[in-house]
Amino acid sequence: MAKFGMIIDLEKCAGCTACSIACKNENNVPDEFYWSHYITETKGEFPNVTYQYISTLCNHCTNAPCVEACPVDPKAMYKAENGMTLHNAERCIGCRACENACPYGVIYYNERGKEVFEEWRSGEAKALTEKVGGEVIPYYNPDRALTYDGIRRENVVEKCNFCDHRVANDEEPYCVDVCPANARIFGDLDDPNSEISKVLKEKQHFVLQPKAGTEPNVFYINKFDEKE
Amino acid sequence: MKITRRRFIEGSIVAGIATAIGLEGRRRRLDTLEEGVETSVEVKPLVKGEWKPTGCLGCTSWCAQEAYIVDGRAIKIRGNKNSKVNRGYTCPRSHLSLQQIYDPDRIKQPMKRTNFKKGISEDPGFVPISWDEAMDMLADKIMELRKNDETHKFMLFRGRYTNARDLVYSSVPKIIGSPNNISHSSICAEAEKFGPYYTQGYWNYRDYDVENTKYMICWGADPLCSNRQVSHYLNAFGEMLRDGVKIVTIDPKYSNTAAKSHVWMPVKPGEDGALAMAMAHVILAEGLWSREFAGDFKDGKNHFVAGKTVDQDTFEENHTYGVIKWWNLELKDRTPEWAEAVCGVDAATIRKVAVEFAKAAPYALVFMGGGSNMQVRGGYNSMAVHALNGLVGSIDHQGGAITGRSPKLNSIPDPDDYMDEMAQKNSKMKKMDHRGTKEFPALKDGKSGGGVVTNRVADGILMEDPYLPKVVIGYFNNFNYSCPQTDRWNKAMSKIEFFAHCVTNYSEMSHFADLLLPSTHHMMEQMSSVAQKGNTYTHLWVSNRVINPVYDVKNPETEVVWLLAEKLAEKGFKNMMEYLKDNFKDPETGKEPTNGIELELYTYKILTEPVWNPAKYEEKGNNGDKFKDWNDFMEKGGLWNSDPYKYKNLWSNMPTETQKFEFYSETLKKALEGHAEKHNTTVDDILATCKYTAEGEHAFIPHYEEPYMEGDKEQFPLAFIEGKSRLAREGRSGNCSWFQEFKDSDPGDIKWGDAIKINPEDAAKLGLKDGDTVKIISPVGEGIATLKTWVGLRPGTVAKTYGQGHWAYGHIAAEDFENKIARGSNNNDVMPADYERLSGSTAFYGSFRVRIEKA
Repeated sequence: MAKFGMIIDLEKCAGCTACSIACKNENNVPDEFYWSHYITETKGEFPNVTYQYISTLCNHCTNAPCVEACPVDPKAMYKAENGMTLHNAERCIGCRACENACPYGVIYYNERGKEVFEEWRSGEAKALTEKVGGEVIPYYNPDRALTYDGIRRENVVEKCNFCDHRVANDEEPYCVDVCPANARIFGDLDDPNSEISKVLKEKQHFVLQPKAGTEPNVFYINKFDEKE
Repeated sequence: MKITRRRFIEGSIVAGIATAIGLEGRRRRLDTLEEGVETSVEVKPLVKGEWKPTGCLGCTSWCAQEAYIVDGRAIKIRGNKNSKVNRGYTCPRSHLSLQQIYDPDRIKQPMKRTNFKKGISEDPGFVPISWDEAMDMLADKIMELRKNDETHKFMLFRGRYTNARDLVYSSVPKIIGSPNNISHSSICAEAEKFGPYYTQGYWNYRDYDVENTKYMICWGADPLCSNRQVSHYLNAFGEMLRDGVKIVTIDPKYSNTAAKSHVWMPVKPGEDGALAMAMAHVILAEGLWSREFAGDFKDGKNHFVAGKTVDQDTFEENHTYGVIKWWNLELKDRTPEWAEAVCGVDAATIRKVAVEFAKAAPYALVFMGGGSNMQVRGGYNSMAVHALNGLVGSIDHQGGAITGRSPKLNSIPDPDDYMDEMAQKNSKMKKMDHRGTKEFPALKDGKSGGGVVTNRVADGILMEDPYLPKVVIGYFNNFNYSCPQTDRWNKAMSKIEFFAHCVTNYSEMSHFADLLLPSTHHMMEQMSSVAQKGNTYTHLWVSNRVINPVYDVKNPETEVVWLLAEKLAEKGFKNMMEYLKDNFKDPETGKEPTNGIELELYTYKILTEPVWNPAKYEEKGNNGDKFKDWNDFMEKGGLWNSDPYKYKNLWSNMPTETQKFEFYSETLKKALEGHAEKHNTTVDDILATCKYTAEGEHAFIPHYEEPYMEGDKEQFPLAFIEGKSRLAREGRSGNCSWFQEFKDSDPGDIKWGDAIKINPEDAAKLGLKDGDTVKIISPVGEGIATLKTWVGLRPGTVAKTYGQGHWAYGHIAAEDFENKIARGSNNNDVMPADYERLSGSTAFYGSFRVRIEKA
């Protein structure tokens, strides 16, 4: 069985956010939820300045604190055999334990009592979706529903699933696919011949919050902004 | 097709739901690693859809794209892999087109105004009507002009466009009988084209051969963010950095591209000329110019010594003209030390970058954007910045600054035969934009009044100079938002008797309309086509309608023209319909168009016939991909790629007066003298009228001019820097939630808000802190924004991106759409309307100062 991971090459990354926009597109992610996101920081003093941009997503940690924290049995947040940290919305009780446990802040919660994509559920917006099709939103991607709720209900959490529905269909996660800088490598960490394994062997890399002991499977190489 | 499902382990500890909600649950550890692991189950295949070719007009990169269509819905966008320009890559903002198309705030059917008082605070009282009634009203208004022999009072405004533009933009006004076809071009780039034209005869954007370059200077250009070829450069930068290409960015703000460069040179706003002069000085004084391109001293020694003139006869030029004059008249005293005091970049860095650049040449390039030259006195900056490529011989050289290999297409058929006597007479009247007047030379292609002065039209209307237009059509434009000093447009459009706006959303300009004619979205709902260069190739794409129009909308470039022609014919003016029927026959079948959809199809077929029809291909002198016929072309995605670029084709073969690359521009001399002669005056007087300070021979060479900035330093201490927004789609994507969600992808900006960025030192002096709501006060207006301290700016400057501040457009774009309350503010509300007059370009950069106060 594979163990999936990702490398983000920060030298190639141009900080354009195509990954984060495309993620919303692929996974029908509502406003103010960011399965894919970024940390930016402008540092220094004029004129000696750098701007760092680090793309973030679920790290699909080997020691996933979100899974450990999930109190439901069977677990709503769980590790798949292929190393992905996945979420089963049916089992989810909305306790937010996973969200609290995650040191990376990549788990989002659909408020109890508030419909997801509320702005699309009435008036002209609703009429538009009814007219052109889709579900709730007119540009709804039905693929997401293959392994997860196409749009998650209220009172459950949601997060990046490494596009498990695409990976199961031999496609790369959508953020990898759309990146115009080709900054992302997705693959099997257990296969020594995969590109990701080779690059990790060859290049210095880092993970976010290594001291948290989570053993993330999203790795970073190089630096975004390197001044002379 | 495997994915995991839980392998349930019998006997695992079951935590009760009560504990789960409490902290106990959160602290609960796995007893075994296996406990949380699940095995695979079958996953069904991804939904079947079809990738259909299209193209994007979200900026002038004009990438070839594909849209994923599922059950008639467009749900994804990707770059078209067959394009040699964007090579399958697509920028972030292309995805926003989905939210533009599926926007419930779009105008859904034609609407007419019921409150005939116009003004910013008037409620227009729009009510829905049929297309038939709408076109009837418009045709009546045009017939009234014809009845009164005042057809020149018809005006057509064009914003973004496709290849089919000249039908509505050129032929329609001509047949009606008006000189007033006003494009948006001069709020886009014209000063940027001025320099390349008056040095090498090329009035256009350049391409830059980054694949083969070793050194790139991005000057007032932010190609990772905005025009040009963003999709291509987002990919190419990583490759360049990996391959050790040195990248330098010159920009007063720490731009997206500055963050991916080795060196940032934060030039003071408007002082680009000083920096360019100093770099040229260094290249000559250090003996690093290109001998092959620019020639050499006859004795082979370098006689360029700071402060000293050189004898013209001692130097022999090859493919350039006037290098000695440039040195003697301007460069000899423009040392890096002089420049440091003026432009704020230290002399050592100027020298180092100039030397490295010249040593890497000819595989070195200066990538010029509008920032360095769309300034009141920016025309000569445009020449100077571009001329650095000339000094080092990278013009038209591999790894340098090149042009393109455009497809040779057909033009829109000439309407002359359909212009009656009235049309012939009235279309020769003066235009509303004052082009070619003494103070607006607009010397596009060397001709006085050759170019447009878009933003001047508001003043033309307000002053009724040369007259007051009565019937106006605008399409794909929003000048009340996109032109500086917007209040003039609000007043001007209030004066127009009848305005029909072809537009997707109720925009700031629509507020002054009598008719709203809802437009198709260019990417999906209509046919579309443009050609563009990049990556040393040129591509042309033609796209079909890929989804059914979401609302009752029509293509303004073709369908609306057809409906108008029909109505005019009904009312006795048949010329436009005859023109369409005679000239827009299907080139394959000879069939006349019988409706707007057929007109759309035949128009694109006619325009692109020299590309898809082998019989016309050679005759027109085309190169690149070949096709059997129209169907073959469209089946192959409607995409044509040129052959690879031919370098050095232009050396001593330039369309300039001397055929050389001109450091002393005989071409500009001719144009300026022509304009001066037309107005019975001297070139010196013309320059002074155009707010330049140069006299005599300096008029014809790139030279330093102190920037002209509105707002005295005492009252308005902070120079305003405008930036482009990564996701702005030319100001049209503000109503997409993804634009707001990722607004902070522009360094220093904030989500769902509008930040004015300021150096922390200045903020401290003003007693302001992050998050404060502040007023931005300029000599012409006020705006509101959120203060953001940011070290990527020089003290004494503030920066704000363009794209927020919509009070119209929709519920997401505006803070309060119903009550016309903007989200943040529009830079153009505070930006004075001023111009680089030689090109007609609007000045967006280095042109004014503001003060900031707590709101």
